[in-house]
Amino acid sequence: MRVQVEGWHAVGTWTWNAEDDACGICRLAFDGCCPDCRIPGDDCPIVWGECSHPFHMHCIVKWIGVQGNNVQRCPMCRREWQFKSS
Amino acid sequence: MQSSSGSNPSQVAARNCRRLQRELADLITGGIFHVEEGAAGSTRWVVKIRGAEGTFYHGEVFRLQFVFPPEYPIEAPEVVFLHPAPIHPHIYSNGHICLSILYDGGWSPALKVESVCLSILSMLSSAEAKRPPEDNDNYVRTCSSSPKKTRWVFHDNKA
Repeated sequence: MRVQVEGWHAVGTWTWNAEDDACGICRLAFDGCCPDCRIPGDDCPIVWGECSHPFHMHCIVKWIGVQGNNVQRCPMCRREWQFKSS
Repeated sequence: MQSSSGSNPSQVAARNCRRLQRELADLITGGIFHVEEGAAGSTRWVVKIRGAEGTFYHGEVFRLQFVFPPEYPIEAPEVVFLHPAPIHPHIYSNGHICLSILYDGGWSPALKVESVCLSILSMLSSAEAKRPPEDNDNYVRTCSSSPKKTRWVFHDNKA
């Protein structure tokens, strides 16, 4: 018997490789997005600090933005916040 | 008419509504603190705190008022005791609380209503004397209605 494939639809799944399930700032799942976004994925990425704590990028940027001239600190461990270079 | 925020409870921004929903659920399952007034969509909650056994405050029940700003949790909630406030070296008789985590420089968006309540309960429990702050009368006479406008100086973590 010969089968001829006329078309196919690929379905993929993805997940962020974070140690935690949810962002420590907005408490929403990393597999979802931050409260200001609608679609998870590259437009609402997660980022890590040198201290290894992950957050939605939009959440941590908001937090470091309000700390003014003070030292920018990780919300979880209060160590100085530095983005971890990947 | 006891609220220092003055206004009626209004709807919170959609961005913090879901977080407050989760916090409310966690408080209820946690079972340590009783939410007397509050809903995920409300900007004002009242949470009951019971003095721990073996401390000066055993048998007393206090009511803590949380008012959430639109930018919560990036911005700290305003937290005060409703009358009557506990008699404590770091708690003023108008309900204002001298605790660094409640104000700029000490607040972190990783803190939650439950962790704030726990910190305050631990502050009550560690009191070494049941007395008001030394500058209570002067502070209460001159302070703003919101403790977030006070320039706090944090001396120690013992009472």
